[in-house]
Amino acid sequence: MDKLVRFCNVVDRTNEHLGKFAAWSAFALVITQFGIVLMNHLYSEGSIAIQESLTYMHSLLFLGAAGYTLLHNGHVRVDILYSSLTRERRAYVNLAGTLIILFPVLLMIGFYALPYVNASWQIFEGSTESSGLHLVFVLKSLILLFVTSTLLQGISVSVHSVIVIAGFGHLVEGSLGEKSQ
Amino acid sequence: MILDLSFIGFQLDLVVLGIWLSELFGMPLDLLLCSAMFILACGSLLLGYPVAFTLPGISVIFAGLGYSMGIFDFSIVGGVPQRIFGTMTNVVMMAVPLFVFMGVMLERSRIAEELLESMGQLMGRVKGGLGISVTIVGALLAASTGIVGATVVIMGLMALPTMLNKGYSPAVATGGIAAAGTLGQIIPPSIVLVLLGDQLSSAWQASQLAQGNFSPSPLSVGDLFAGALIPGLGLVLMYVLYQVLVAVFFPSACPPTSDAEDAIDLKPVLAAFLPPIVLVIAVLGSILGGIATPTEAAAIGAVGAMLMAGYKIDKADPKPVMVAGGSIVLLLILGALFDLRMGRQEIPTIDYLAFAISLPVLAAMVWGLCVSFLRIYRAGVLQEVVQMTARTSSMIFIIMVGAALFTLIFLGFSGDYYITQFLTNLPGGRLGAFILVMLVMFALGFFLDFIQIVFVVVPIVAPVLFLMDINPIWLGIMMAMNLQTSFLTPPFGYALFYLRGVAPEQQVKTTDIYKGVIPFIVIQLIALIILYNFEGLVTWLPGVVFGTGL
Repeated sequence: MDKLVRFCNVVDRTNEHLGKFAAWSAFALVITQFGIVLMNHLYSEGSIAIQESLTYMHSLLFLGAAGYTLLHNGHVRVDILYSSLTRERRAYVNLAGTLIILFPVLLMIGFYALPYVNASWQIFEGSTESSGLHLVFVLKSLILLFVTSTLLQGISVSVHSVIVIAGFGHLVEGSLGEKSQ
Repeated sequence: MILDLSFIGFQLDLVVLGIWLSELFGMPLDLLLCSAMFILACGSLLLGYPVAFTLPGISVIFAGLGYSMGIFDFSIVGGVPQRIFGTMTNVVMMAVPLFVFMGVMLERSRIAEELLESMGQLMGRVKGGLGISVTIVGALLAASTGIVGATVVIMGLMALPTMLNKGYSPAVATGGIAAAGTLGQIIPPSIVLVLLGDQLSSAWQASQLAQGNFSPSPLSVGDLFAGALIPGLGLVLMYVLYQVLVAVFFPSACPPTSDAEDAIDLKPVLAAFLPPIVLVIAVLGSILGGIATPTEAAAIGAVGAMLMAGYKIDKADPKPVMVAGGSIVLLLILGALFDLRMGRQEIPTIDYLAFAISLPVLAAMVWGLCVSFLRIYRAGVLQEVVQMTARTSSMIFIIMVGAALFTLIFLGFSGDYYITQFLTNLPGGRLGAFILVMLVMFALGFFLDFIQIVFVVVPIVAPVLFLMDINPIWLGIMMAMNLQTSFLTPPFGYALFYLRGVAPEQQVKTTDIYKGVIPFIVIQLIALIILYNFEGLVTWLPGVVFGTGL
């Protein structure tokens, strides 16, 4: 039990860091897009590589922060019933949902994404534009980052739920996985 | 596939089971599974597991079931990574995180509070004045932040207590707040219109290709923004008109809230209203003027929001913010008046001069921006805003990823074929199909968010409606307004939940809120009927602005 809790804490902290790191790409996205607009308007200057870098920031933002969003309970729920449930009942919903719904979905996406990303790595796939950013294989790998980080967070969520169901809820009180927002 | 349960002395042939089920319900098996999938997906959402995973999760289970019964081909699911990659590289959708960033930044710089306070002081002198100012502030917040929940909560916390203490009828007060809060759905630039525009445009392309039109006029997010402007402002007008009528016929329900003896001071009102109005006009104007794409305009808006926040944090020293703002305006003018490309063969002296001026102005702008960024960083606002943006964007886009899987599996069961069959064979033809789609969306709006409905329902039904010769811009605005109505409708409307959460329980009964929103629902229905009969109210402005022949 102790080891499991410690494992979850490692997962939680990793996703917390990853999410906070990915979040900064929102700021980078704003500044870069603003710079592009200004340079284009003023000097009619533009760079395809910089233009394409926006896609990378945008993708990192929502794929890199997916596990972090799950950790902070940020994936929207229909909470007509959920909000009135006790902590134990919620733990049942989360455990069942993670096992029956989250894991199959992620495994299915991962199953099809792995050869897709692999094919891209085989040829170090670049941009279709010759002066573009030739890192499309890295960009596509972000799909796997999403699958992995969310899968790990899912494990943490289910362990937390089991602990709460088993009546040891006080052990994980206030830990990251119990955050509300 | 044969399920071997020999340990209990039993063997189950799933293919045979499938045939049996199909005969039992008297419909093809794929139709049966596909409808069951849709119903079960909606049902299981109610349990409260995150929507982004529940939708694809249920569909994956049904895909497995269909496969074992021999009617589902998994190869269609192989398109999922390509679809996700399509979402990642979709430049139009990049406007979403940028608009979220702008909205959260403005929310954190507390513009809502200042707007309400100053406007309430001024308008509170007359009967119904505070209610009207709630509507107007709600409309302005809708245009700048577009966050429905936040708008309702802030106005519920700020304006509601004053209204109640001064003797407003709880129904009138809460109805106005809830309705004003939902304006964020329809008044551009709104995030939901970006999402809707993206989904409608791919459905539109597909349906035009299917009809043999190989160069259809494209549908853009800008078209939807332009189309939503007149209906959105019309709604605001009708809301205000209603409040005026209440003030005239039931003056006791909305008494004055501030002392009419005080001297009128317009300065704080202007100081509160000018920055967000300038920002909204800049963002919306550059989109409608065809100067910037929604994505580019959103970035400009986000920088503007950061400047406003930088100003609010250290009001004692507004110089850097003024310098940055002034430089940006100056640079825009320089760029518009002169040709500053330096790679040309012959450059007139005047252009050289303008180029020389632009460099120090650029430097001044960078300095002013950096000071503002540092301020909001030191105050901890920037960190909070980027994290909130990351969570919101991730929430939206992971739903999109999940919905892509759901839609693929739905197609795998030939769901599109059955939907087309069903909608085209409805009695009443075009009108019947349209009304049914609207009713279904209205009902879904009770327990699903706008985002999920847009991603799940629109790709399925929009192509069929387009085949019936329905204008795509008009359809988008009707859908948006329909859902906005749904979010106001008791007992499940989202806006009502948000308001219930912040309204004091002893003073405001839930039935008061319900009573209060009914007039607004009637207004919404009237607006929908008007738009149905006068399509031009939606399609005229996009035609003028973009010249699209839609």
